[in-house]
Amino acid sequence: MERVEVRIPSLPSYERVVRASAAEIGQACGFSTERVEDLKLAVSEAVNNAIEHGNRNEASKPVAVTFALDQEKLEVRVIDQGNGVGQPDFSRRVVEEYNLEDGMLRGFGTYLIGALVDDYEVSSSQSGTTFTLRLYRKEHGV
Amino acid sequence: MSDLIRREEFGEVVVLHIGTSSVDGISAAAIAVACSDMRPITVLDFSEVSFINSAGISALLKFVVSARKAGHKLFAMNLSPHHQKIFKMVEMSRFMPTIEERDLVTYR
Repeated sequence: MERVEVRIPSLPSYERVVRASAAEIGQACGFSTERVEDLKLAVSEAVNNAIEHGNRNEASKPVAVTFALDQEKLEVRVIDQGNGVGQPDFSRRVVEEYNLEDGMLRGFGTYLIGALVDDYEVSSSQSGTTFTLRLYRKEHGV
Repeated sequence: MSDLIRREEFGEVVVLHIGTSSVDGISAAAIAVACSDMRPITVLDFSEVSFINSAGISALLKFVVSARKAGHKLFAMNLSPHHQKIFKMVEMSRFMPTIEERDLVTYR
């Protein structure tokens, strides 16, 4: 098992640091270019969730991201120090006419996470929330 | 004009060449300001863009809303295959269809 840990303040600009790490690690895993793009986007969404909805943009609260790689999979854990969140909605979310009219232009992040990774889970308590994302290596011939 | 956007106008067309690699929460506000002046046919050129997340999609949807209110047509150009996939997943392509560079020749 190989592990890489990244810890960032809850400021949106630092999401790019984690995303760059995800890109490097995805390439090191031997994932295809498209798979690396999927990984980057899923990790970006999870980190932004942790910053915004978990730590509520309090810069002093860190977001910890762990990349754990074994022969079977890459597992990414995104951990905030917020007060917990309700079960996120991973169902399909698309742009609808009525959303445009009502100005409801957000909310695609969790759908994209669920759709782009092979497996995911969320655990939340009053001491924080952990998003766990998994991308398997064998299923994709890597 | 922001360095993030290079503006190219001809006839009723404006092509807004996005000059940042990431359309995300950081760049969205600046892009929104730079792109606020649209024409009847407005084309967003994504050739320099290598990353778009949901915050970026939200920013782009603001253009969609503005364009529809003004009766303008809004197109995306030079989207990567990955971003074409993401646009299809969230059905963004219904509201911001893709256009090829060669299709603009008739307007020049």
